Amino acid sequence: MAVILVPKPPKEAMNPDRPISTLLRAQLLHLHEVEKNLPSRLRTKTYVHAIKTERQAADYIRQVTENVFKAHGGDAPAKRKRRAKKPPAPAAPSDQGGSQAQGEAEPGAGPEVSRNP
Amino acid sequence: MPAGLDHLKHIVVLMMENRSFDHMLGALKARDPRIDGLTGNETNPDTQGEPAKAQPLAEFQSQLDPDPDHHFPAVDLQIFNEDNSNPRVASMQGFVKSYFNQQRDVNHSHKIMYYFPPEKLPVLTTLATEFAVFNRWFASIPGPTVCNRAFAHYGTSFGQVSMDIFYVKEPYKSIYERMIASPPHTAKIYYYDQASSTIEIVNLLQNQPQLFATYDQFLVDCKQGTLPDYSFVEPNYTDHDTGSGEELASDQHPDHNVQAGEVFIASVYNAIKQNDDLWQSTALLIAYDEHGGIFDHVVPPACMPDGFKASPNDTLTGREFDFDRLGVRVPAVLVSPWVPKGTVVDGRVFEHASIPNTVTKYFLGDYNPRSPREANSETFLDLLSLDVMRTDCPDFNVG
Repeated sequence: MAVILVPKPPKEAMNPDRPISTLLRAQLLHLHEVEKNLPSRLRTKTYVHAIKTERQAADYIRQVTENVFKAHGGDAPAKRKRRAKKPPAPAAPSDQGGSQAQGEAEPGAGPEVSRNP
Repeated sequence: MPAGLDHLKHIVVLMMENRSFDHMLGALKARDPRIDGLTGNETNPDTQGEPAKAQPLAEFQSQLDPDPDHHFPAVDLQIFNEDNSNPRVASMQGFVKSYFNQQRDVNHSHKIMYYFPPEKLPVLTTLATEFAVFNRWFASIPGPTVCNRAFAHYGTSFGQVSMDIFYVKEPYKSIYERMIASPPHTAKIYYYDQASSTIEIVNLLQNQPQLFATYDQFLVDCKQGTLPDYSFVEPNYTDHDTGSGEELASDQHPDHNVQAGEVFIASVYNAIKQNDDLWQSTALLIAYDEHGGIFDHVVPPACMPDGFKASPNDTLTGREFDFDRLGVRVPAVLVSPWVPKGTVVDGRVFEHASIPNTVTKYFLGDYNPRSPREANSETFLDLLSLDVMRTDCPDFNVG
């Protein structure tokens, strides 16, 4: 059977400071609407219209998603911890981006994966 | 019943973002003329009346920036090119004009016609040629993401044609609710991680977070053989940092890197294929939610009205929309070792409502109520037609 080589994207493909798209803007607004229904202790009090970059958006998305799970009495599904690359040279690119790491990862090889609530 | 259907226990759908059929797979026509792609002679007029030609010059990133408009009025322009005759004539001649509206740069507007040569997309084009590629899989609505993904979850968008919040209306239920209400059937939405989350927020995540798991859990479930009957996988929608590194968006939404999406598709495929039992009992559908404003040459056909109407204030075109025409064509590929190599699905029209229809019919049989669009949509499991499972399927090595 054929083995197809899949090139990794370059490191410079990563740009969390990219301005958010209309899709992410909509996702933020939908999450903001959901946040209004959460108990006050689980609201972030974030002004979503001030969110401009993907990094900022991701941070807000993570907080509200986790709070939705908390409101239902559970924790959000945990992110698997990655194995450290070796050698861990600080100046070397330690990670070429999440999707590449997915491609390299053996399914289920990582430790400490919590089950879905 | 073909042996493939006898073995089928799992359906997995991976829905990517915002690329048209011709943009991703159109070049395959040169390899296989049965694939309804590009001849190289396709054009759209630019705002100066000059023809902008479809060319194999698509780049992985930084080319479609700003993000091409794909809201309802823009898609209307792309399809009808401002035609106001009665009845209106769909020509697929308004893509360049539409993209010009965003940057007012004639040369830049031509880039909406660019497509990928197959060698730049080794994962998607390999899967398309090794398994089944659909010549006629369309977005459900000539509009943006939220309303189109709704059709994959509910078989309808409940009248929504935009990115705004929609609310589920009785009597229609999501495919996940249908499944879990019929034990022992199971279903799950795997979003990438908390910082990417899901697009299906207001109706499902808010009220039923137990339906969701992360992509890491998908990998575990594949390895352990604990995948639910039906799985819907969402890619990573954002470039973001985590405590352990950087996560690169894999949804292929412009201006995210297309290669990252290729790696993600390969990851999903590999996770299934590396478990022998799962591989022989799973059908994987890879589909794109909508075309993202990018050129495609096939006119979207009329379809069964949805029972909902969008007002002129909703469509922003001055016209009502009866959900009686599909959106622009998108890439769709069905993967299974029970699909004959090189299958080209032609002469049948599919849309995202085909997803809940297929899953429902296979796992639940006769089920009502369903939207008119879903009830009348095509299903795709007949493509698992082999009596003997293939052993020649490719592997992907992320290098």
